[in-house]
Amino acid sequence: MDEDKRIVLENLNVRYSGMETSQLKNININTPIGQIIGIVGNSHSGKSTLCRVLAGIIPKIISATISGTYTIAGRSPMDDWTAFNTSTGVVLQNPAGQLSGLADTVADELAFDLINQGTSADVISKRVANVAAQMGLTDQLRQKPESLSGGQMQRLAIATAIITQPQILIMDDPTSEMDPVGRQQFFHWLTTVKDTTVFIVSSEIDDLCEVADSIWIMSEGELVSQGSPQDVFNHLSPEWQIPTPTVYQMAEKMNWRLTGDVFPVAAEELKEAFDATN
Amino acid sequence: MPQIELHNLQFAYPEKSFNLNVEQHLFSDSMTAIVGQNGAGKSTIFKLLTGLLKQDAGRITIDGVVLNDFKPSERLKKIGITFQNPDDQLFNATVKREVEWSLSQVNSDKDQNAARAVEVLKKVGLADKSDENPYDLSLSERKLLTIATVLAVDPEIYLFDEPMMSLDWPSKRMVTDIFRELSATGHQVITITHDMDWVAEEFHSVTVMEHGEIKFSGTPRDLFGDRELLQRVGLLPPKIMELAEMLGDSKTYLSPQDYQNQNIVQ
Repeated sequence: MDEDKRIVLENLNVRYSGMETSQLKNININTPIGQIIGIVGNSHSGKSTLCRVLAGIIPKIISATISGTYTIAGRSPMDDWTAFNTSTGVVLQNPAGQLSGLADTVADELAFDLINQGTSADVISKRVANVAAQMGLTDQLRQKPESLSGGQMQRLAIATAIITQPQILIMDDPTSEMDPVGRQQFFHWLTTVKDTTVFIVSSEIDDLCEVADSIWIMSEGELVSQGSPQDVFNHLSPEWQIPTPTVYQMAEKMNWRLTGDVFPVAAEELKEAFDATN
Repeated sequence: MPQIELHNLQFAYPEKSFNLNVEQHLFSDSMTAIVGQNGAGKSTIFKLLTGLLKQDAGRITIDGVVLNDFKPSERLKKIGITFQNPDDQLFNATVKREVEWSLSQVNSDKDQNAARAVEVLKKVGLADKSDENPYDLSLSERKLLTIATVLAVDPEIYLFDEPMMSLDWPSKRMVTDIFRELSATGHQVITITHDMDWVAEEFHSVTVMEHGEIKFSGTPRDLFGDRELLQRVGLLPPKIMELAEMLGDSKTYLSPQDYQNQNIVQ
C-alpha cells in the first residue's frame, strides 16, 4: 500500500498526565488522504483529543502518554514537527484563544503566519483578500479582531488556518457559534475545498452527511464506526447515543429505501429513494 | 401562567447604531422561542426583562406589576436567566457552591439550600461533579450548571439564551425534557435560539426579531408557512421543509413525524 497517500493510525492510545483512564483507546485507521472526514461523538468521547493528535498538538505541545503510530501521507509529527506543522491548518474549539493577540486589524491577523514565513507583500495582500472573500470577512478587514461576533471569530480562525494553503485541515466544531445562514455558507464552502484532507468534528449531522466522504464515530475513547455516511448511519448502535440525519428519519417514516435495503442519509440519495418508491 | 407585557419599550446602547423599539407585546405562552439574526435585539430584550439594562422609555409588567417595582429577591423568584456565555455568571469555587449561592439570594436556610443543590445537580447530570471547580468543567457542563442554578431557585419565568449551544445530543434531549416539564407545570419558558428544527418541533409560540423590532409573533406553523417573511428576516425553514421542497412539495412541515402524519393516509 502506498503510505504516501494514506492516513494511518495503528494501535493509538493517548492518556493525559494525571488521568487514570485513556482518552483514546486502541484507534486503528487506514484511509486515503484528500477526503473530507466527519468526526462525530458526544462529550468525553475523545473526539477533541483525536483532533489534537491529528494536528500533532499531542504530544508536541500538550504532553500526554502516547503509544502506537500516526502518519499522514508518510509524515509524522514526531519525525519532523516543523514540516508537519507547516502542512496543517488547525481550528480549535475556542476561536478567540488561537488568535495571535498582536494584530490591530483582521487583515493583520490574517497576514500573521505569512509574514512569519517570509512571504512577499504582494502575495500576502492577494491571499488576504482571497481568504477574506471566501469566509465573508471582506467588510471586517479593517476591524479589530476582538470586536468580531462569535460566528465571525470562528470564520476568522478558519481563514487564518487556510491562508497558508495547508494540505491537511483539522477543525474542531468550527460552526458552533455561527447562525444557520453562516453555517450553511460554511458547509457549502467546504465542498469547494480541493486537494486537501479535511478532518471536521461537528454535531451538525445533516450537514456532515452532505459533504463528508467518510464518517468516524467516537464513543468513550474508541473509534466505534467508520465508513461512508450512508453505511455508518444505517448501522448506528443505540449505545453510542448519536442521532440519525433528518433525511434518514424522513425516509424511515415513509419507508423510502435505496437498493440494498438501506435508508438514504443525504439529499440526493433521498431523491433517488423517493423516485424509486413513488 | 405569568404574563409579561411590554409597552412602548425603547432602548439604545450608547455609541452603537442600535435601537430597540417594541410598541406592544405580550409573552403569555408556556414555551416561546425568540429567533432572529445576530444583532436583532434578542439578548437585549432578556437584559431588559431581568433589569440588567434599564429601558430609556416605556415599561415592562409581570402580571400587571411594573418590573422595576419588585424587590431584588422577589424579582429573582419571578424571573431567572441563563446567559449565552456561562462564564458571565459562574464565579464560585465549586459546582455545588455555585448552586447554593444562587439559592442564598432567595432563601437563608443553608440546609434546605444544600439539599436542593444536590437535587438539581442530579437533574442536569452533574451530581458527580459537585466538588469540582466550575472552570474545570467543559463548556457544555458549564452551560448545564447555569441551568441548574436557575432551576434551583425555580422562578415562574425562565429565560434561556442559546441553551443548546455546544451541548451534545444526550444533553440536548435532557434539556428539552426539562423544558417540557417546566412548561407543563405552569412556568413560562422563553428561549433565544438559532435552531429552527428545535423551534418547529418543540415550541408553541415563536417571536421573530429584526433590527430591534418584533416582526412576527405566532405559531411555528404560521411562521414557517410564510416564506416571504422568512426570507425578509433572514431565517431558514426547518430541514424537513427544505427536503420536502426538493421533492416538489412546498407545504409546511414541522418534523419528519409531521411529514408522515400529513402524507400517509391512516
